[in-house]
Amino acid sequence: MKDSIILLKTLLLSTSQHNIYKHSTDKKRRRRVIGNYVGLACLYLMLIGYSIAMCIGYGESGLIEAAPVMSAIVISTLAFLFTFFKTNGYLFNFKEYDMLMSLPFESRTVTGCKFLYMYIKSLPWYLSISLAMMIGYGIYAHPSPVVYPVWILLSFVLPVIPMLLASFLGFLIARVSSGFRKNNIIQTILTMAFIILCFSLRYIIEAVIRDDQVENTLQSVSEATENAGRVYLPVGWFAGAVRGPVVSDILLLTGVSLLLFVIVFRIVGNSYRSINSALKSHAAAKKYRMNGQKKHSVINAIAYKEFKRLTGSTTYMTNGAIGVILSALFGIVTLILGFDKIVDTVTRNAPFDHVILQPAIPFILYFFIGMLATTACSPSLEGKNYWIMQSLPIEKTTIYKGKMLFNMYLTVPFMVFGILCMGISAKVPVPELIMDLILGVVLCAFSTAWGCVCGIRHMRLDWENEIEVIKQGAAVSIYLLPNMFAVMGLVVLMVFLGMKMNHILLSGIMILIVAALAVASYLRALSLAGRM
Amino acid sequence: MSTKAMLEIKNYSKTYGEGKKAVDDVSLTVESGDIYGFIGHNGAGKSTTIRAVVGVLDFTEGEILIDGHSVKDEEMECKRITAYIPDNPDLYENLTGIQYLNFIADVFDIDAAERETSIKKYADLFEITDSLGDMISSYSHGMKQKVAIISALIHKPRLLVLDEPFVGLDPKATFTLKEIMHEMCAQGTAIFFSTHVLDVAEKLCNKVAIIKHGRIIASGTMEELTEGHSLEETFMEADHEG
Repeated sequence: MKDSIILLKTLLLSTSQHNIYKHSTDKKRRRRVIGNYVGLACLYLMLIGYSIAMCIGYGESGLIEAAPVMSAIVISTLAFLFTFFKTNGYLFNFKEYDMLMSLPFESRTVTGCKFLYMYIKSLPWYLSISLAMMIGYGIYAHPSPVVYPVWILLSFVLPVIPMLLASFLGFLIARVSSGFRKNNIIQTILTMAFIILCFSLRYIIEAVIRDDQVENTLQSVSEATENAGRVYLPVGWFAGAVRGPVVSDILLLTGVSLLLFVIVFRIVGNSYRSINSALKSHAAAKKYRMNGQKKHSVINAIAYKEFKRLTGSTTYMTNGAIGVILSALFGIVTLILGFDKIVDTVTRNAPFDHVILQPAIPFILYFFIGMLATTACSPSLEGKNYWIMQSLPIEKTTIYKGKMLFNMYLTVPFMVFGILCMGISAKVPVPELIMDLILGVVLCAFSTAWGCVCGIRHMRLDWENEIEVIKQGAAVSIYLLPNMFAVMGLVVLMVFLGMKMNHILLSGIMILIVAALAVASYLRALSLAGRM
Repeated sequence: MSTKAMLEIKNYSKTYGEGKKAVDDVSLTVESGDIYGFIGHNGAGKSTTIRAVVGVLDFTEGEILIDGHSVKDEEMECKRITAYIPDNPDLYENLTGIQYLNFIADVFDIDAAERETSIKKYADLFEITDSLGDMISSYSHGMKQKVAIISALIHKPRLLVLDEPFVGLDPKATFTLKEIMHEMCAQGTAIFFSTHVLDVAEKLCNKVAIIKHGRIIASGTMEELTEGHSLEETFMEADHEG
């Protein structure tokens, strides 16, 4: 126990922005810490606002009793997905592994502390959602006063089970991958496959039980959320505990979380060293023969370096390339099943003319592709290798042009492919399809350049673990969240305007607006790069 | 002073993908009071051996004992008496030097007065006391190496394992470290370290092993091995024959 406290305290201190602010003598770095705090506060406020708005929606529609379940579903889903994306970087393949494992810590102490570290770092996000929804619930449902302390207490417990499940899955993937020579590739493929499975799980379940239960149980939002509590028990326990409050539900949620924690980290700890040994070992073939060298332009050489950086890290690959892979899969599925069928499934057979969705196709794909621009994290990912680029006789702007070029290489083919698949399936006329393609490419350019602006402005080179800049960095958060919310709004706007305006005209206007934003972002990125 | 085996490596092998052996049937013994040099080319298997000794790298073939305890089965007993300094120490960059040293002192349960005395002693010796309040990220490679060395010394290990300890150290720090190694050795600590610097190994070590392509090609006391020649000549000869 004492060992765990010492290690956990040090892990938290070693990534504490407050510690940097307190001890750093570099004014620029201290200013960046304040900037990070302000940026994070804005994001928390956004999340709180979104959660309260969701509660108001429930309250106004007389469904406020569904709020605890919905809060638990949102937190559990986010906790599961975010942990799954981070597990590889936090539990395995972390750079101070040698230092920690050579100290007298049990393997399960190291893994348990790494998990608790992940939990504490992500807790403010989950608390923002949960406590905001508790306030909304309090306003509309007027529950008994005892609900509030129970809700607050269980908000700390709720993310534990999904995080443990995600960590355990990450462990299983690492264990399977460690048996292969190309363990990095196997780990990436398995992780991606599982993420894709998660995204499509809802539709798979619906397809399996469509005929009997789903049509009936999904008649109302309230019933649907209640149903979720029966499928995933912790959600039901949470709802029961805060609505009752039911003591058995409180004890079940807390007890199972604790028990699962002990079991998972006993299992993980047992084979932790062997997995890490295998993952960190790089078999040397020593068969290289010098031949077939090619010359590339500087900008393409940088883009190629970025490609190798992406494919060389499971964490970066699963976070950076998942959007383009999902977009390609979405395009293929649409082409096979048909645009109408997909729309019917997503909108539950809502009666409307599907043609109005056609102008929104590039934005639907951009929702996936723009999820994360590699340019948002690649400046920070240089980390300790920053000196390499800095010491080479290359203009700073060229370095970032190369990074942007790589993101274009990565995103444009998938955007074009996705639009063609969806466009053909939706029978979009050729002139409109061409406009959609242009809009798609322009969106990629905007994502690339805007990501680069965020990446340079919030560059952080002193990270301990690459996940800190890939998943939690200020650059990525500031790029990702407004971008995601804006896209969702734009999809709605395109559908709305599509009913009133000609498709080509609407796409033309959007192309001009997005192109202007892309050019402005590009010039800003170059200007920031030039000043470095 | 009576000697006893502090580190025993028995028939240790490490295989990476496709059955290729990075280390093949390595056996050696380091006794208390020994300064044992482990020399070889880049990629010869030195770090793979050292990482297994300190419990970082898993292995299936052979046995490694520290003061009679098995690295595989009695991990904690081994780690409590061992200190390891890697060739390129990855310390927590966002801690200050003193925060990092306190972390290590906490791990080894060193009381406040004792840690203060030993941190001060070694920090003064390595002339780094003034910088202990600064972030490790602001340190040079040599300064990080010094912090790693101090962290290894403050808990008075009975086995000190160092991977290329002199890389990045300034001449004064190199001299200080050698003095400390002699002092520890006189007190009965066993020291096992890898190096490329043959002159240093020759002057510092009483025993040496030469590893090539994962196999020990020569080992023994310095006198037995060199037979009046320089270590460099011996190494080149063994390398040529091996």
